[in-house]
Amino acid sequence: MGPILLVWRLVRADLRRRRSEAALLLLAITAATTTLTLGLVLHGVTADPYQQTRAATAGPDVAATASSPLNGPVSPADRAALNALARAPGVIAHSGPYPLTWAALGARGLKAGAEVMGRDQTPASVDQPKLTQGSWIRPGSAVLEASFAQALGIHTGDSITLNGRSFPVVGVAVTAAIPPYPQVCTVGCDLELPQLSPSNTGLIWLTQADASSLATDRERLEYVVNLKLANPARADAVAQAFGSNSHTLTANSWQYISQQDANLVAAEQQALLAGSWLLGVLAIASIAVLVGGRMSDQIRRVGLLKAVGGTPGLVAAVLLAEYMFLALLAAVAGLLIGRLTAPLLTNPGSGLLGNASSPTLTATTVAIVVAVALTVAVAATFIPAIRAAHISTVRALADSTHPPRRTAWLIAMSARLPVPLLLGLRIAARRPRRLVLSAVSVAITVSGVVAVLTVNARNAQHFGSSSGLNNPWTNQIDQLLLLITVMLILLAGVNAIFITWATVLDAKRSLALARALGATPQQISAGISAAQTLPALAGALLGIPTGIVLIAAVNHGATMTYPPLWPLIAVIPGTMLVIACLTALPARLAGRRPVAEILQSELV
Amino acid sequence: MSDSTDAPVLRTRGLCLEYGKGAGLVRAVDDVDLRVATGETVAVMGPSGCGKSTLLHLLGGLDKPSHGEVWLAGSRLDQMTEKGLARLRRTAIGFVFQAFHLMDELTATENVELPALLAGRSPRAARERAAELLEQVGLTDRAAHLPSALSGGQRQRVAIARALSNDPLVVLADEPTGNLDSEATLDVLRLFEALHAAGQTLVIVTHDARIAATADRLISMRDGAFVDETRLTGGATGRLADLAGFAGLDG
Amino acid sequence: MQEVVLAMLAKEPSHGYGLRTRLRNALGPLGEAMNDGQIYVMLGRLEKSGLVATERAEVLPDRSDRKVYALTAAGQQRVADWLTEVSWPKPDLAEFHLKLVTAAAGRLADPLVIVDAQRRELLLRLRDAQRAAMSEPDRSDAGLLLEGVVLRLQADLRWLEACERTWTGRRGRS
Repeated sequence: MGPILLVWRLVRADLRRRRSEAALLLLAITAATTTLTLGLVLHGVTADPYQQTRAATAGPDVAATASSPLNGPVSPADRAALNALARAPGVIAHSGPYPLTWAALGARGLKAGAEVMGRDQTPASVDQPKLTQGSWIRPGSAVLEASFAQALGIHTGDSITLNGRSFPVVGVAVTAAIPPYPQVCTVGCDLELPQLSPSNTGLIWLTQADASSLATDRERLEYVVNLKLANPARADAVAQAFGSNSHTLTANSWQYISQQDANLVAAEQQALLAGSWLLGVLAIASIAVLVGGRMSDQIRRVGLLKAVGGTPGLVAAVLLAEYMFLALLAAVAGLLIGRLTAPLLTNPGSGLLGNASSPTLTATTVAIVVAVALTVAVAATFIPAIRAAHISTVRALADSTHPPRRTAWLIAMSARLPVPLLLGLRIAARRPRRLVLSAVSVAITVSGVVAVLTVNARNAQHFGSSSGLNNPWTNQIDQLLLLITVMLILLAGVNAIFITWATVLDAKRSLALARALGATPQQISAGISAAQTLPALAGALLGIPTGIVLIAAVNHGATMTYPPLWPLIAVIPGTMLVIACLTALPARLAGRRPVAEILQSELV
Repeated sequence: MSDSTDAPVLRTRGLCLEYGKGAGLVRAVDDVDLRVATGETVAVMGPSGCGKSTLLHLLGGLDKPSHGEVWLAGSRLDQMTEKGLARLRRTAIGFVFQAFHLMDELTATENVELPALLAGRSPRAARERAAELLEQVGLTDRAAHLPSALSGGQRQRVAIARALSNDPLVVLADEPTGNLDSEATLDVLRLFEALHAAGQTLVIVTHDARIAATADRLISMRDGAFVDETRLTGGATGRLADLAGFAGLDG
Repeated sequence: MQEVVLAMLAKEPSHGYGLRTRLRNALGPLGEAMNDGQIYVMLGRLEKSGLVATERAEVLPDRSDRKVYALTAAGQQRVADWLTEVSWPKPDLAEFHLKLVTAAAGRLADPLVIVDAQRRELLLRLRDAQRAAMSEPDRSDAGLLLEGVVLRLQADLRWLEACERTWTGRRGRS
């Protein structure tokens, strides 16, 4: 009990002395744990809204389609197959076959595409879309799918054109048979018209007559039938079997449709998990910076502990315990914040009814987050703790264990450079480990930025012709990516400031001496900034390929997208500029401290 | 008050450095008038805390006075910007500190050439000058050693060489032998005598009487103010006879 | 030491006993080594030299220490000369120390002025000895002896600084 109490007391005293550092560290690790919690918690959140929608609309277990071949209408054989499926054993109810076609849609000056489904005015037994606005279809009028309507900014009473013909919108509804906009084409689209693309196509209902009248030679009429099975669990098998031997016959099970509904959330989850990795590594770098910055102070404490009889084990324990305690706090904070903010990300959108199930923290999630936080703390402090435990007491008290490094070739080379670079290079070379941490910190952030740029470019490609539609997918993903990027940049910025401050403290005497020998304060400030900007350059150069590798890893083998060239090249000077600006203030302050004071205090 | 025939290279008038306010006002340097002629060695002695180090910092532009003027060869220090002071420090002033203040990660040569590099001279010129100076102080064989491999006296000699790097008008030394044993003190003493003989202007703050004895003028300081001044020039070796008794050589 | 006694009498006439006590107080433990009778021998010599005169205070046939001693004019002149003297033939701490004590007690002179004057003198001597030591070949016999002289002078100068500090403090208080 005694040693534990002692360790606890020492940890508490140290944290109290260094409140701001502890707070910033807590922030860094909490960012990582929150992102991780969100990523883990998002699993399966759309399942509930989908079920709600399914129940409310009598959603089908299988939706089967007979599509038209390249040069002709749907073959009679296919139509017969569709009808046969509707009467197959195990099918307890069906609706359709309904005509289906594709048309160019115009609304409020926007150009989009529509999957046009023909329906009866009377309610169907399977898949009757539930109205959220207005009333059901009448001849000559249209009902839009809810998230499509939102993307277009269309309400009941507005008017749209389909292939040039005007249709008033009399209602807005949701369905469980086809995923909401912009996921419509994940269950199959047949887009021949040039205006149509997966990113701007949504679902719209007309009367069967109206729908059939929209079919053209390019976009022929297709047929869809909705089935309810005696055993819904068999939907996958049934759907597979139906579409197995034909190019024109396809079927989707409710499980598959549900999955597509979850695509947005799945993408968010991916982004969050990748983001939490980056933030986690950045948090390790932050801790390493702080631990390194306080090295000489720590070493003296260690010496004192040992001199009064602490064992090497106690010494290592104190060092580790402090950061593990912070990590634990950060884990708890991350879990709480993640749990509270998850609903913001789990909004199923207007295409599904109801709210997402309130995300729960399972025991696994909690365990993973805590384990990751503790690993981060241990990874950053393990080596210093072991080293501290084995330092000889005398050397620790004399503080001769942490002299600056000498790199002869760097010193020789710096002599040829102008004074600020001379100073900067020499300052940076004193602590090679800090240099590496600087570069790593920047590299992580840059790789995150590169990854985000790539995803943006890909989304732009994919959804490029959204042309003004309010695409919920890109909106939400964009916001999330922006959030992660901002967190990365903030943390890297904090790291940069911390490293600068540590450098200034560590090089205090040398800089004061340089000023006594005739370096101007401006040269000193520029030197300190240069000492940070040079590793930032290295970090930026390292971060670009790392970002590309990160994208490849997250894609798992799908087609590789590369980041756009010009923004990529701009990242390098951009990073250096940001770092130079961030370090300018501490650097300036360092250049202005009274020299005499510093040199005198060295005597004490 | 008329000047002497040579204009003084270093001059102060009514120099004051105060801090604190009201009842807590402390005068670290109190109304000091000083004149140092070219080639003169001036020693300032006094008990610790009397402000002699602070005075030296004011003379070298490392600190700004509260009132008064400091003139170095016609430039007024107390009104200069930091930039101007820095330029002055690398062309006209050389510092020697009690704690040596060498950069631990640079060799002796690299330490000595630093002021020249800061002044913008080419690396080669700086290196040559450094070699020259190290020879002058007798440390050519130690040129490639780090300070940790040098004794206290050797380190201070490197520091003196560094102070001479840019041919300064005046060398300011703050307790140069404070951290040295008697043998090292002798080495530094010889160096100062040699510099004096070569015409270098020196202002030395010390409480070592041996160093003070090498000066032309000795100024005593107490509580920030000058209280006494002694001319130490002259004194023939005839006085040595008096010391015979001191050594116990009389009957 | 003779001059010390004279200086003690400069303030006012005194018994031998009184002088002894004041001497002891000023010297502290080092004064224990002093022989009691020494002071009377000294007083006798001074009387013979005409620097001191005696007055009999009370006539008690059996007590010879009831003599009261006082300075003559010659004695006073001697004291004045002694106070301004700066020769330092041998390390004689007691004498200089008592010079300061008696000068202060008798308000004969400012002890700080005495200290400063002595310091100046010693510095000049130090300079001479140092120059001589350095012009001798390294580690020669002569050089070594001169070095010893230098170091002693340095030690004495240190003590003079201490004297200056103490007497400044006393002046501040009074």
